[in-house]
Amino acid sequence: MSLRKDIAELVEAEIISEETAEQIHSYYQQKSGQSGNRLVIAFGILGAILVGLGIILIIAHNWDNLSRPVKTTFAFLPLLVGQGLCAYVLIKQSESTAWREGSATFLFFAIGASISLVSQIYNIPGNISSFILTWMLLSLPLVYLIRSSSVSLLYLIGITYYACDLSYWTYPFQQSYLYWPLLLLIVPHYYQLYRSQASGNFTLFHHWLVPLSVIISLGTLTQDLGELMFVAYLSLFGLLFLLGKFLVSDLSQGSSNSYTALGSLGTVIVLLILSFSDFWSNLSREQFGTYEVLTSQEFAVAALLTLLAGWFLYLFLKLSSLKDIEPLALVFLLFIPVFIIGLVSTVAVVLINLIVFVIGTLTIRNGARRNHLGILNYGLLIITALVVCRFFDTDLSFVVRGILFVSVGVGFFVANYRMLKQRKANA
Amino acid sequence: MPKKTILLIAFLLVALVQLYVPASMILDREAVLAQGTEYKFRTAPIDPNDPFRGKYITLSFEDTTVPIVNENAWVDGESVYALLTIDEHGFAQIQSVTKEQPADDQDFLSTTVSYVSSNGNRQLTLQYPFNRFYLEESKAPKAERVYWESLRETSQTTYALVAISDGEAVLKDVLINGISVRELADQSKDGND
Repeated sequence: MSLRKDIAELVEAEIISEETAEQIHSYYQQKSGQSGNRLVIAFGILGAILVGLGIILIIAHNWDNLSRPVKTTFAFLPLLVGQGLCAYVLIKQSESTAWREGSATFLFFAIGASISLVSQIYNIPGNISSFILTWMLLSLPLVYLIRSSSVSLLYLIGITYYACDLSYWTYPFQQSYLYWPLLLLIVPHYYQLYRSQASGNFTLFHHWLVPLSVIISLGTLTQDLGELMFVAYLSLFGLLFLLGKFLVSDLSQGSSNSYTALGSLGTVIVLLILSFSDFWSNLSREQFGTYEVLTSQEFAVAALLTLLAGWFLYLFLKLSSLKDIEPLALVFLLFIPVFIIGLVSTVAVVLINLIVFVIGTLTIRNGARRNHLGILNYGLLIITALVVCRFFDTDLSFVVRGILFVSVGVGFFVANYRMLKQRKANA
Repeated sequence: MPKKTILLIAFLLVALVQLYVPASMILDREAVLAQGTEYKFRTAPIDPNDPFRGKYITLSFEDTTVPIVNENAWVDGESVYALLTIDEHGFAQIQSVTKEQPADDQDFLSTTVSYVSSNGNRQLTLQYPFNRFYLEESKAPKAERVYWESLRETSQTTYALVAISDGEAVLKDVLINGISVRELADQSKDGND
């Protein structure tokens, strides 16, 4: 109410025009409506998920007493109800997000329920990957026709499960190339979402799920030269990290986002895995034919990702100077010579440990400079993780390990204490 | 308004496809049940469950290996056709496997290779496309117990009744000495409770 009074006063004093006053009013009205609306959307989707899953569970009971024709009729019931709801939404409620998301989510589960019931009635066996594939393909149009972002998220989970089931969990392992075109099919929706509501909740969820799905599924491209996939993964994490930097400047939402977080965490984890000598002693022992490597699928994947990441690095350098670049963005390039060295010598393991150590130290320095406790402690954590990993290597004496642990622990105290003290002094 | 109409028409088409897929699954199976030849496959089940489709008995079959000539000609997981015959006890038996679809006058089963021996035994093991028998939640564990009891007594014969037409198979029932495990599970419930 006081706002209305203030605006009236400002209009009277001719500080703002009538038009501006009107705009301010509508802005605040919209804003207050949004939070309530958001709750309705969340509950609509949650309700649809619960009802949908409930129907699947009731179906899974397997009603033996019902005859086959009755069971098949029931298979279509949730499907028809979901389709009816979606048709109603398209005709009458196409502007209500809660209605769109709720009904599309319900239909999503109804499709799964009906295929499940049919396979149950006719004892169609396992093969969960083909079941999920059919389910996802039948649900995908809902993303675009009903404009449902929750179905898009469920679809992403579904296709990731499909790729994992086919390539990681089922023997004999099969290639799940189909995952990639399936992923591409969701990109237009993701892009549209990003353009229309850059800081919306659904966009945020997609920002996490899309890169996570790619990270999980990249490994399905492994054939015989699994070692090369480490190059591919580091390039992917480098690419994600750089993409995140572009998103930051676009989103103006703090210094980090899902892409930088996943890129940086992924890089550090892969480097830590490689900081053990086992991988490198195996690598230097193996004989690779040049032709075999160059024609392998892993090489193509690694090369493509490295080129992409390199291109984004070039774009990034064009916009800002070399000084601004964070060391994590360069790891993927640095790793390639290390990997080549690793083919002939186990010296590479020392280099990897050095890289992790440098990244940790630079991150600590970065955190201290920007007076950011989170970054500072992330750097300390990287160093700690490195020390813990070395703890498992038996070739260091207990005394050396003990001293390492004590000094890192003291480092934690000193760094945090100094920063907090400095903050107090500034305040 | 026209955009809305287009959307609605598109949605109707999608809805039809969504209905068509389960419907065609049903019609295909019904056709096999109506026209297919019945075969009895000797079995041995265990009981896990599926998060989406409920409780079922996993069937493992007795005669799943076929002698082959060349081990390198077959790959794990590939699709093959198995030619069927019936042995002297009336149970189905795999005569041979082939990669080309057999002629119509022969009874065959579309199936996949589970694994090929690599030690020179020249054996190919098949994975039958009907290894799940769905049961009502409460019956599945009982059916399993009844089944295991029947296995201990060698005099009992257990088999899966399968309808096969044009290579497509539909599992109709699992029987112990000619009685459905569904009925046996019911009887066992009456006996124990």
